[in-house]
Amino acid sequence: MKILTTVKKVVDVELNIHVENGAILDKGLQYVINAWDENAVEAAVQLKESHKADTTLVSLGSGDNTDIIRKCYAMGIDDAIQIDDPALANADSPTFARVLQKVYEAGDYDLVITGKQAQDTDAGQAGIMLAEFLNIPCVSNVIKIEVTDDSHIQVSRLGDAGTEILDVTLPAVITVSDGINEPRLPAMRGIMMAKKKKINVMDLAGLGTSFEDVGGTAPASEIVEFMPTEKRKGGQKFEGDPAEVTAKVVDLLVNEAKVL
Amino acid sequence: MTNILVVADIKQGELKGSTAELLSKARALGADTAVVAVGAQVKDLAPQLAAAGSDTQYIVEDASLEIFSARPFAAAVVKAANEFNADMVWFGFSETGKAAAPRVAVQLEAACATEIIDVTIDGDAVQIIRPAIANKVLQKVKVNAPKLVAVVRAGAFEADPDISGKENVVALDVPEADTGAKVQELISDASGEIDLTDADIVVSVGRGAKDQKGVDLVKALADDLAAGFGSSRAMVDAGLMAHNKQVGQTGKIVAPSLYIAVGISGAIQHLAGMNGSKVILAVNKDPEAPIFNVADFGIVGDLFDVVPLLKEEIKKIRA
Repeated sequence: MKILTTVKKVVDVELNIHVENGAILDKGLQYVINAWDENAVEAAVQLKESHKADTTLVSLGSGDNTDIIRKCYAMGIDDAIQIDDPALANADSPTFARVLQKVYEAGDYDLVITGKQAQDTDAGQAGIMLAEFLNIPCVSNVIKIEVTDDSHIQVSRLGDAGTEILDVTLPAVITVSDGINEPRLPAMRGIMMAKKKKINVMDLAGLGTSFEDVGGTAPASEIVEFMPTEKRKGGQKFEGDPAEVTAKVVDLLVNEAKVL
Repeated sequence: MTNILVVADIKQGELKGSTAELLSKARALGADTAVVAVGAQVKDLAPQLAAAGSDTQYIVEDASLEIFSARPFAAAVVKAANEFNADMVWFGFSETGKAAAPRVAVQLEAACATEIIDVTIDGDAVQIIRPAIANKVLQKVKVNAPKLVAVVRAGAFEADPDISGKENVVALDVPEADTGAKVQELISDASGEIDLTDADIVVSVGRGAKDQKGVDLVKALADDLAAGFGSSRAMVDAGLMAHNKQVGQTGKIVAPSLYIAVGISGAIQHLAGMNGSKVILAVNKDPEAPIFNVADFGIVGDLFDVVPLLKEEIKKIRA
């Protein structure tokens, strides 16, 4: 089984993000591997361990993603491709999906595993769109993958009415939720080995395509402006005798906020 | 004139509140409205769908649609969108919407936007606003494609009780089942519990509850209030709460009238799932917990002391 996983480098959401004149300020930002992509990498490595799957990682974007790729190597990924093209800096989900389609078609993959969404855009579209473009099965928000045989997997998905169990014919795209696993911390040996591994870096031309070809020059939508989120303010905080403050707060919920 | 198709949000045979909210917003924008209902038993919902504000109800009903399957669901929505000549297709915030919207967008060659909180139409110019980066920023997005498929964030629009539509039921063909991703089984969440995403009050439990006994205590408070019962990620990771109870960036997004966070410190990912709530009450023994920065009312105290007292006070006012 040949698995393709995707990783995106995203803004660390734990840090403060400042918006000025419609743009996010670079200052103070730090970048990390998208958390759900880390779950995707872990899922791929587990299939490598249990079913001798070949694992390839692809990272899309503009700028150096070597650090996050090395981390995935240290977790156990076999090969990595980095599509590094300045044109992709502000690309939208369908464009990313079209680039992934080119990567998929250049290989011979049985299974694509992506995170369910990227924590910078929270869009959750690229994986599903990739499957749609390829016209292959797709299950999103997956919390369990089990291999049935060479051409079938069984997956569990968290849906609105409960957990859905699906029998999926390969090739297919699976997008995973954080409930699927706990990504491993790479061991020292893995970290040392990861430093020596080669990363296959190419731009869109190297992939045999162009920004125009993947729809990037005529996006279906584009961000025109960033704005700061209206922040909630802390209200009244009560300390002291538990019975007294609880009675006070319930009174406020009933008579002031009128929500009880 | 803009034609807006709203995808009915139906859970366990029941029409959810988001459908009326989306239809109210569509009508407020001056759009012509239709709704599409997909499922095993949805025909009988037609009067409710009209009352919620739709002027046409597309019904796709078949036993094969009992358990959600993204491909046929999306095909049904695409069919309705084409019949209605829809300029926009709106989903309520749900796993169904998140799974189906990107497929529908590709098939309609439309722009796709998830978690939107506002839409403006100015002649041909369509703009949407959506949060990003765990709700730390808002994006203003210009739609270039002639059509838009959107998933609307929970609590973004309000239902106008004075709005209603007219009944005009159109039955559509049933799409073929997905043979590539075959639904085998649904392990149902239906347990008679209040639906978290639709509840007027939500009580969520965090790490402060420590163990099963703590969880049970907070659950009893939720039951007394007839509230939805949610969780922080820590409690899910600890195996004390089910995945489908997780409120946050990756789980359920809720926007109830009252959100009660018990023993939850307030990680940014959790806040992203509940900061649309009208009123937030936090109970935490750490006065510096970040949850107090967003809570309208805060009680600094041990939840094992405070929750029983809350139950008592609520019993008094409900008596």
